[in-house]
Amino acid sequence: MDNSAVRVIAIVTAVIVGIVSGLGLTWFASTGAIKFGTIKAGTWVAWPKSGTVDADPYSRAMYARAGELPLGLTDGISFATTNDDSGSPLNGRCDIHIAGQLPTARFWTFTIYDSQGRLIENAGGRYGFTSAEILRKPDADVDIVLAPRARSGNWIPTGGRERVIAVFRFYDAPMGLGGRSSNTVEMPAVWQEFCS
Amino acid sequence: MRHYLLPLITGLVLGGIVHILTILAMPQLALDNAFTRLAKLGPANTVQFVPDPTPVEAVLPRTDPAFVTAICRYNLNVGALKLRVPTTADYTSVSFYTRQGLAFYSLNDHAAGQRTIELQLMTPSQRAALPEDEEITRADRLIVESPTTEGVVLVRAFVREPGIRTKVRERIAAVNCAPES
Repeated sequence: MDNSAVRVIAIVTAVIVGIVSGLGLTWFASTGAIKFGTIKAGTWVAWPKSGTVDADPYSRAMYARAGELPLGLTDGISFATTNDDSGSPLNGRCDIHIAGQLPTARFWTFTIYDSQGRLIENAGGRYGFTSAEILRKPDADVDIVLAPRARSGNWIPTGGRERVIAVFRFYDAPMGLGGRSSNTVEMPAVWQEFCS
Repeated sequence: MRHYLLPLITGLVLGGIVHILTILAMPQLALDNAFTRLAKLGPANTVQFVPDPTPVEAVLPRTDPAFVTAICRYNLNVGALKLRVPTTADYTSVSFYTRQGLAFYSLNDHAAGQRTIELQLMTPSQRAALPEDEEITRADRLIVESPTTEGVVLVRAFVREPGIRTKVRERIAAVNCAPES
């Protein structure tokens, strides 16, 4: 091969590698895989800065692509998880338990979604709980079970979805909550059993 | 060997640049971002309810179903906007987002401390053009500056339990958002 052909191949290779790696990384990042400025509490993740003018480019890209609006930080803060404490994905065919203490707020809501962020169809129209509706136990702030079939207590139907997203939202929470560092916020434990 | 290495390294550097540019441009370029979705509900500078999310459809993904939500998509080219939000018996919040989804201001019923949250929304240049009379500097007149001419105001009212949804909805139906006359 003469020299100019080698040069053309080199330039084409560089451009292809550049576009593929650049766009690939952007696609990966905009699914929420790159986490700047997050607070982790057990398996739960919050993006407190996403609802402020200081939102980082990655969280802004993530929300824009999802078509979602972040909660304004003075409105509330949300903690979401797609995994249990051992790191396994939340499976709607299992009994998923969520129990423990919660950070203080004026009130909170708990909601589950499918992997696309949609509510999960069920006969009772039960998509979650608010702090006003939940049945309380003396030893824990919450004790919720997500399962395909009816359970006693605070049950939310999963419709047997293979992947489930669980979200707690704390409204009018003390300003300090969003400024805490990882693992200083107490959030409930998450575990799964009886997978069918 | 060197024939492969140089294009590869150049390619990866190029990839880094492509990555940074596309991440930064995403809020502008995302075709199906929140603003576009909400724009389908109705014209700018008017109030619309966002339909309660159902498993079949939701205007925005991951909406909190425990709320009644109304929006006012704004375009400040027509001048400043006046916003009146009657608070409900429970939590009510007003959040402001730019067209690109940046949350630049929010307040709730406790912070406002009044039965009705009243405020004016304008661009920094519209604010600078305000005449300096006493009435305007009065503390109870809340002015919110929007960094962009277009954006959306989200009014959300908490539905403590499903039975009160209709009542909350009636209250939020009285939200007003219109150009100042």
